[in-house]
Amino acid sequence: MRLIEQVPVRESRACVSLRLVAEALRPDRDRGERQAALHRAAQVLLDAVRTYLASPKAPDRLSMVEDPERSIIAIMRNLAEASPALKPRTSDLIGMSDRKPHALLARADGLLPLSVPDDTDSALLGDFCDEAREYIESAEAAMLVLEREPDDVEAAQTVMRAFHSIKGTAGFLKLDGLVALAHHGESLLGERRQRDGFAGRIAALSLRALDALRDTVQSLDASRDGLPLAYPPDFVDVLRELENADAVPAVPGAMPAAPRGATAAVARDSGATHTARVRLDRLDALVDLVGELVVAHWMIAQDPAAGHDHPELSRKVAHAGKLVRDLHDMSMGLRMVPLRGTCNKLVRIARDLAQRAGKEVECRVEGEMTELDRNMVELVADPLMHMVRNAIDHGIESPAERQALGKPATGCLTLRATQMSGHVVIALSDDGRGLQRERILERAQVRGLVRPGEQPSEEDVLDLIFAPGLSTADRLTDVSGRGVGMDVVRRNIQALHGRVDVQSEPGRGTTFTIRVPLTLAITDGMLVRVGAERYIVPTTNVIVSFRPDRSALFSVGGRGEMVRLRQDVLPLVRLHALLGVDGACEDPTAALLMVVGAGERRSALLVDAILGQQQVVAKAVNAGIGDVPGIAGAAILGDGRVGLILDVPQVLELARRAQPFTGTQAVA
Amino acid sequence: MSAAAGKYVTFFLGDEEYGMEILAVHEIIGVLPMTRVPRTPPFVRGVINLRGRVISIIDLRRKFDLPPCEPGPTSCIIVVAAHAAHVGLLVDRVSEVADIGAADIAPPPPLGAGAHTDYLVGVAKSGARIRLLLDISRVIDAGDLAVAGAPGGAPTAA
Repeated sequence: MRLIEQVPVRESRACVSLRLVAEALRPDRDRGERQAALHRAAQVLLDAVRTYLASPKAPDRLSMVEDPERSIIAIMRNLAEASPALKPRTSDLIGMSDRKPHALLARADGLLPLSVPDDTDSALLGDFCDEAREYIESAEAAMLVLEREPDDVEAAQTVMRAFHSIKGTAGFLKLDGLVALAHHGESLLGERRQRDGFAGRIAALSLRALDALRDTVQSLDASRDGLPLAYPPDFVDVLRELENADAVPAVPGAMPAAPRGATAAVARDSGATHTARVRLDRLDALVDLVGELVVAHWMIAQDPAAGHDHPELSRKVAHAGKLVRDLHDMSMGLRMVPLRGTCNKLVRIARDLAQRAGKEVECRVEGEMTELDRNMVELVADPLMHMVRNAIDHGIESPAERQALGKPATGCLTLRATQMSGHVVIALSDDGRGLQRERILERAQVRGLVRPGEQPSEEDVLDLIFAPGLSTADRLTDVSGRGVGMDVVRRNIQALHGRVDVQSEPGRGTTFTIRVPLTLAITDGMLVRVGAERYIVPTTNVIVSFRPDRSALFSVGGRGEMVRLRQDVLPLVRLHALLGVDGACEDPTAALLMVVGAGERRSALLVDAILGQQQVVAKAVNAGIGDVPGIAGAAILGDGRVGLILDVPQVLELARRAQPFTGTQAVA
Repeated sequence: MSAAAGKYVTFFLGDEEYGMEILAVHEIIGVLPMTRVPRTPPFVRGVINLRGRVISIIDLRRKFDLPPCEPGPTSCIIVVAAHAAHVGLLVDRVSEVADIGAADIAPPPPLGAGAHTDYLVGVAKSGARIRLLLDISRVIDAGDLAVAGAPGGAPTAA
């Protein structure tokens, strides 16, 4: 925003009012509301500039503001012409903040408690936190590059820019501690790095500074919800170290050894691209609209009028179809973000944990540019973090133990992400000691998960680690081994319509494989027919489908119907009765049984036929009629009609309670 | 609360003419193929695909306990906004947009206890025509909508 430079507004009120202007110009507000807000904002801004001009410390750039009233009008005009949908970054609002002279920097000794000025706009503080987090994230990624290529100027500048930007905005918010920390961080990466190179102490200190920044930002963000503000415990220590590093002259030729712990191999992001911030609801609306377009086009293409009798028209329709498909792919891609951020975070965690546990671990990341729906990225991060903790804590042995076993002292942790037919597969492998089958089985027997004398297969034993309350850690550490863990991981991944599996070889290592769909917006489903109705059963719930023999059917106590499938006995759920559908096939031997599972519970759903497998865009069905038990959502099917997506766990729950709907004749 | 003067969209259910404030009406569309939603009250006819949005359809005949009948060539769906959602109302025929003056509006007649008249907010007379004015947010009662959500909730029998 160039206009800020014309008027060096440092008054917070002025900045807040600029935000008000931007808010007021939001296109989704109605005219009356906008005008009132604009008027209010203009008043505040005018007042602020007047105060500023009246102050004795008016700067040299004063001459640029000849007539306050006129310049305000110019600002307003500029703002209105600037794209009103673009959210101004807080750092833009503040403009180029000058470097504070050292004397004005807060010192570690005598640092006042963390606080924000009373009149701080909560939204502004939130924006600052968001932005600071983005900067910290990009700085961390750049640090990993620097570690491999200490002379990479671009990476160093990324980190410096992060510190610099945070410093600028923090200064505006009067967060003196943050300003000081960021200031020293910046000069550490700048002048010091040029003198001493990026290694050892500087690298470690920069990372700690980033951590301290992040924790402080976290506290600031939480304070908006009324939580108490405080610097993280080691903030003062980090600041003091940074101050010392800034003050001590360089010792030529002294190159500290590389830090013990993990070294990361993260490919450099060479193809830097420009990005734009877009409101998520608009993005979602766009994706929805394109989905409609696909269906609308499908209907045209299916129309006999566009058939073989009219080759010219059918050629045009086919061409449009190609464009529509491309558009669809692209719009789905808009919400996709690479896993790189998550991978970087995991590498950092691995490094920290390894250091703490006295282990040497090398992290390898492959396929970090694999993309996933942005919502999914956040949701897979937690389970992955847990698995990394487990791998470092329990999987990889100490250097001494490894050498005794004839393994290299440095353990290896590999994170590999690939995309496969609508799914992202993330494999986390370590070359540690592997899972101890005997101990798992022993624990499972103690917990009653396996009956004494029972001999489960190898696979089933490994699968037991996902059972609730099973932990084989010999000792508790502060990072993992509290007996809650892999069951939560599996539950979280299943909630994403995904699955997690484990493979392990004693002494050679363990591999966890997570498989999740690219997006939650699209459900992979089996389209089934029940009478004249069609339903979508999410594929993740479907185990197998079969047509039973008469002999496989029996009933228990004249009540529940059961079906035998190999050695399993499953309850038979008559979907037509449960959902009140008339005219469905009621004889299982003439229809189809679909074995579905939700957690531990498995049942066989009676359906007329399976019409096919397809991906559908899940939409809410409750608009206007409340939540419907048994129905997870709705989707527009290929013919433009609505199909309902079954919520399998709820359907099974309904069946268990055996409350078939009785009033259906009135609805049909 | 009684009905205010203004523009009303009027429609027929059987021989009876009803009116609702035009501001509540989002659009009027023909009858689209509906998908029945299980375990919902009988007056919930199903859901339709309205340009990619899934909206539910309420059969006003069933809602008002009138003899049910299948949609015919003149049947329409009036899409209204109520309780922060769009809902379609299935009616026999849309009649007109009528300007109804305050002088023409009488309070709803007392119909005795048990009659579902709480959504009837007035009666408009013009000549021999009598139009029953509805408060649409009461027709689509938030409580009604929640019925389907009650776990194992007994549906209202028709």
